[in-house]
Amino acid sequence: MNIVVSIKQIPNLTDELEINAEGTGLDHDALQYVLNEFDEHAIEEAVLAKEATGGTVTVIGVDTTGELDGALHTALAKGADSAVKITGDFPRGTDSHTQAKLIADAIRGMSPDIVLTGVQAADDRDGQIGPMIAAHLGVPYVGVVTGVQVKEGKAVVHKEYAGGVMAEFEVALPMVVGVQAAHQPPRYAPVSKIRQIAKTAKIDEVTGGAGPRAGSTVRRMFKPESAGHAEMWEGSPEEVADKIATLLAEKGLVKRG
Amino acid sequence: MAKDILILAEHLNGKLADITFEMVGKAKELAAGFGGKAVAVLLGNGVKSLAESIGADSVLYVDDAALAQFNPEAYGRLLAALIQERNPRVVMIGNTSIGMDLAAGLSVMTDLPLIAYVNGLAADGGTLAATSQIYGGKIQAEALPDGEACIVACLAGAFPADTGKGSAPVEQIASPAPLDDLKVNFVKLIEPEGGDVDITQQPILVSIGRGIGGQENIELAQELADALGCAVSSSRPITDAGWLPKTRQVGKSGLTVTPKVYLAFGISGAPEHLEGMRGAETIVAVNTDSKAPIFDVAHYGATCDMLDLLPALTEKIKG
Amino acid sequence: MLALTERTIFVLMVAVFGSITLWGFFNMYRIVRRGRAASKFQNLIPQAVKAFLEVGLQTPVYKSRLILTTFHAFIFFGFSYYLLVNLNDLLEGFLPGYSTAEVSTGIIGPLNFLGDVLSIGVLLGVVVFLVRRFIAKDKRLEFNKDVLLYPAVEKGGVKRDSLVVGGFILLHVGSRFTGQALRLAERSIINPMQPFASALSFALRALPPSAFTSAIHASWWIAIGLIVVFLPYFIISKHVHIIAAPVNLGLAKQGERGHLDPAVPPGAPPDLAPGAATLADLAWPRLMDAYACIMCNRCQDVCPAHNSLRPLSPSALEINKRYWLNENFTGFAGGAASPPLTEFAISPEAVWACTTCFACVRVCPVGNEPMADIVDIRRRMVNDGAELDSGIQSTLEKIGKTGNSFGQAARNRAKWAATLDFKIKDARKEAMEFLWFVGDYASFDARVQEITRTVARVLKSAGVDFGILYDGERNSGNDVRRVGEEGLFEQLAEQNIAAMSKCNFQRVITTDPHTLNALKNEYPDYGGKWDTIHYTRLLAQLIDEGQIKLAKKLDYRVTFHDPCYLGRYNKGFNPPRALIQATGCEFVEMPRNKENSYCCGAGGGQIWMGTTPPGERPAENRIREALAALATLNGHGGNGAKPDKPLLFVVACPKDVVMYTDAVKTTGNEGKIEVKDVIQLIAEAMGEELQTSNSQLQNAVPA
Repeated sequence: MNIVVSIKQIPNLTDELEINAEGTGLDHDALQYVLNEFDEHAIEEAVLAKEATGGTVTVIGVDTTGELDGALHTALAKGADSAVKITGDFPRGTDSHTQAKLIADAIRGMSPDIVLTGVQAADDRDGQIGPMIAAHLGVPYVGVVTGVQVKEGKAVVHKEYAGGVMAEFEVALPMVVGVQAAHQPPRYAPVSKIRQIAKTAKIDEVTGGAGPRAGSTVRRMFKPESAGHAEMWEGSPEEVADKIATLLAEKGLVKRG
Repeated sequence: MAKDILILAEHLNGKLADITFEMVGKAKELAAGFGGKAVAVLLGNGVKSLAESIGADSVLYVDDAALAQFNPEAYGRLLAALIQERNPRVVMIGNTSIGMDLAAGLSVMTDLPLIAYVNGLAADGGTLAATSQIYGGKIQAEALPDGEACIVACLAGAFPADTGKGSAPVEQIASPAPLDDLKVNFVKLIEPEGGDVDITQQPILVSIGRGIGGQENIELAQELADALGCAVSSSRPITDAGWLPKTRQVGKSGLTVTPKVYLAFGISGAPEHLEGMRGAETIVAVNTDSKAPIFDVAHYGATCDMLDLLPALTEKIKG
Repeated sequence: MLALTERTIFVLMVAVFGSITLWGFFNMYRIVRRGRAASKFQNLIPQAVKAFLEVGLQTPVYKSRLILTTFHAFIFFGFSYYLLVNLNDLLEGFLPGYSTAEVSTGIIGPLNFLGDVLSIGVLLGVVVFLVRRFIAKDKRLEFNKDVLLYPAVEKGGVKRDSLVVGGFILLHVGSRFTGQALRLAERSIINPMQPFASALSFALRALPPSAFTSAIHASWWIAIGLIVVFLPYFIISKHVHIIAAPVNLGLAKQGERGHLDPAVPPGAPPDLAPGAATLADLAWPRLMDAYACIMCNRCQDVCPAHNSLRPLSPSALEINKRYWLNENFTGFAGGAASPPLTEFAISPEAVWACTTCFACVRVCPVGNEPMADIVDIRRRMVNDGAELDSGIQSTLEKIGKTGNSFGQAARNRAKWAATLDFKIKDARKEAMEFLWFVGDYASFDARVQEITRTVARVLKSAGVDFGILYDGERNSGNDVRRVGEEGLFEQLAEQNIAAMSKCNFQRVITTDPHTLNALKNEYPDYGGKWDTIHYTRLLAQLIDEGQIKLAKKLDYRVTFHDPCYLGRYNKGFNPPRALIQATGCEFVEMPRNKENSYCCGAGGGQIWMGTTPPGERPAENRIREALAALATLNGHGGNGAKPDKPLLFVVACPKDVVMYTDAVKTTGNEGKIEVKDVIQLIAEAMGEELQTSNSQLQNAVPA
């Protein structure tokens, strides 16, 4: 089983996010970048799948920060077998379309049986990487997945809908999976192991060309007003109840009648 | 028809999702600006009556046994074909569990730009301006597509649903692409099952504090939690009083929770409590004291009487 | 004197049982050798002298349980003396005509007196112990219900062993004592130097004259012959502590308490996994611990986890190790592996309940270090990717990513200082006398930041030349190391040392005792050798030198909680007390103070965990202790009598501020007692002397 995990770095959301002078993007240089949390789950699910069925796990990402090595070393410490980084002129905050194309081009030659990636990332303004990789490779995609079982050229995946309802799909491999949550919490990689790997492991480097770009341009970026203090809802209990119900529906937590 | 807006109608278990009406309502407003029509697309099996309840300018539906349940491959294939064939100005898809399987892939297949996580759409002098809510809700980004046409993935609840309800001329169309060689096969739906209460594992928490007043009112919170399929948690005074077991206590001396939505009713927000819940994705606080510190960490707040609000919300959720 | 056959039988018995015993000791040696290397053989002579004095004076036993320890001292001194007594009895058995029972003069006279009195002392002590265990059923000898017990322990192995050992002592000493009485009774004499034996002899005079010879022989056999029979059992009984404990005390931890041994012994092969999964992964002194343990549960008495009804008992850990070894004696000695420690010695829940407060190690009368086992087990679990408590895991990940346990951006670290009306020197840019290592809680926790600013204001007013590292500081790693993340600790230590090495300063001060511990005791191993002191020490010095003037006399009644890592670990008992007394506050000690201070429950990573103990939390227990202590002073009745002045619970650790402020609320004592850091008292007492105003802070919202 040839398992590939595509990962992406995003700004640490506990940081105060600053908008650049033009007001069209984040002040990326002031930000610390961390691995997308959903990608952590994708790595965990990949390692669990490998432990269950055998095979190899390759972790790949576009190095938009010059710091991708850290995330790759961590993935190796968690049980991945090899790591690939795509380098080139890709600044922090490189759009999903570009990253997806670069990754798809890089992994096409690896003929993966299954590609796992986080279902979404906090900076996916132009969409999620997973379905794009699938489209580039011409293979099926199922996202919002909380469990993957691989057997004999097939994968059985559980996709979450709102309200806890799940759908089970059986998919002929190869495919791309957008992982919502691994069926176990991502394991901890001890720093001593990461440091050991950092000294010995080799990260394959692929030089990437120009990407397709997002296809849209941000003309204004701003912070929503509610930051810092709650946005207050006025009105009767019924009106407030309606607002809360709407919010819950928006979050996909209740089905709205 | 380069002026039309195509909207993917979303449905599950024989019911249209609200996002459908929300997008249709918005699409009608935008299409009028572009001089086109809001055309809803419904994919399913035996869905004529569902199609008839959509208040778009017109509704197209494909009826096929292979579409009895959502299938990302089948949907993707049909939508790609429809987009090629009808060349719409805007394609609207929900930024939902279903829509997230489709929009980004369609963007690549059709070479149309995608703007996702959209909670604001405006026809700005004939140009579409889409505002995305990104970075965990901390940032809004207003963007314009580089070309004229684009796909937008809309967040649930961003637009009112009412204007999208109603009816429209319904047209059944033949499947624009073959559906007999799918690699993705739907197996079954799995309904959630009830289990032991672990408040750290709940997507929603109905959390109560001193404002609940008396033990007899705990029931009101429990009824809401039942309707939401989640659990009741609390701040310290409630468990101290023995009204709820200690396992339900959130905060420094209790548990740390990170639900998607934390509904804090009658909790003032002592730092010890805040420490246990500030990691929640969205916090809604209801407290009669508008100066309560809970509002400093909450995203949304209200000062109405929680004892009136609880039953009202329970009714809303039950539908 | 014994008959020839008796003497022959005795010699044969000594040969047989003695050989078995020697074989047993040899295996015990092989068992201890299975442990990992540990450098314990430095300063052997001073250590031996120290151990000799400790054993001779029973000082380690007197650290707790005063009365019981006195009875133990009876037994100890009696048994020590019995070495001589037993030798004398051997001579009596083997030397024709040699008898001492009736001698009351010369050197033998006083020796007889001692033997007589000490025999009664031993018997009294053992009876007290047996009554305590089997009749009074002292609760302290029991474990919490979820404590993992090895089957042999679960089935009452400790009780049985205690009964056997107690019975042996009663028979051995009782028989020897009776033998003396018989000898006196046989001749109808009284020996004034054997008053107790003489008293018994009156009763024994009633025996028929023909019975004396055989009765004396029987008493000899029960006294001396029994020792020989008992010897092989000795190896597997608690009684072996009379040998193992002195050795253990001689090999006990040297150097600083706050310095943990590394996760792998220095010079170990590179593939040796860190920490401990099985018995053989423990350092060899930890295997000695199992033999030295006398199963008294004193460690458990002082354990905050045990007292919160969590499934941790440090003594159960040692006892389980011991009973497993007893059952797998030759096997383990010969190289067989033990099962994982977490399966028979200590449950994973218990491993994660430890606050690393050091109270168990401090109180142990035989020099055991159960806490070291626990840290080593954590180290291996972390290394092997065992499922960690989600709070611990996310905190470690946050520290790994951001360098602080709050997951905040590094540039926010010194945000607390932004609202001061002066700028603190940046140690990375300017030279200074004191580098202030602030620590995570003092820097980031909104409840502590105002206290941190107060420290800054007081230092500034006192004219101290100080600065901070700003973004350059990271979590010190003290508790990271104690949850077993050795690699992350090393990384943090290296990063902090690298940042500090670039600065120009003379000494280091810390606000956080945990930070103090890491910098003072553990950073030197990584090249960070600075003179590091807690800020309370510096302040006490400044007051002494008159650089801080306390203008106002404060009128509070206060008690002080010694933070584990300031007090027990680093002996910083006096400076905080000196500071409190300098403010004029009325000072009251809690019953558990200084060395015997009770942990707040936050250390060893507990503050990062999401778990709540089922019982009273340590901090709650402590608040109640404080209130009781403050209430009983000067005849102020505790029962609702209103105190005549405000009560304060004074701390000197940022985590304590957090823990105890919460505990005051959860115990329903809001308004009755207030938690304050000692710096707040100093600032208040300085009054006008505190030059930097805080007026502009009144309206500032803490970040």
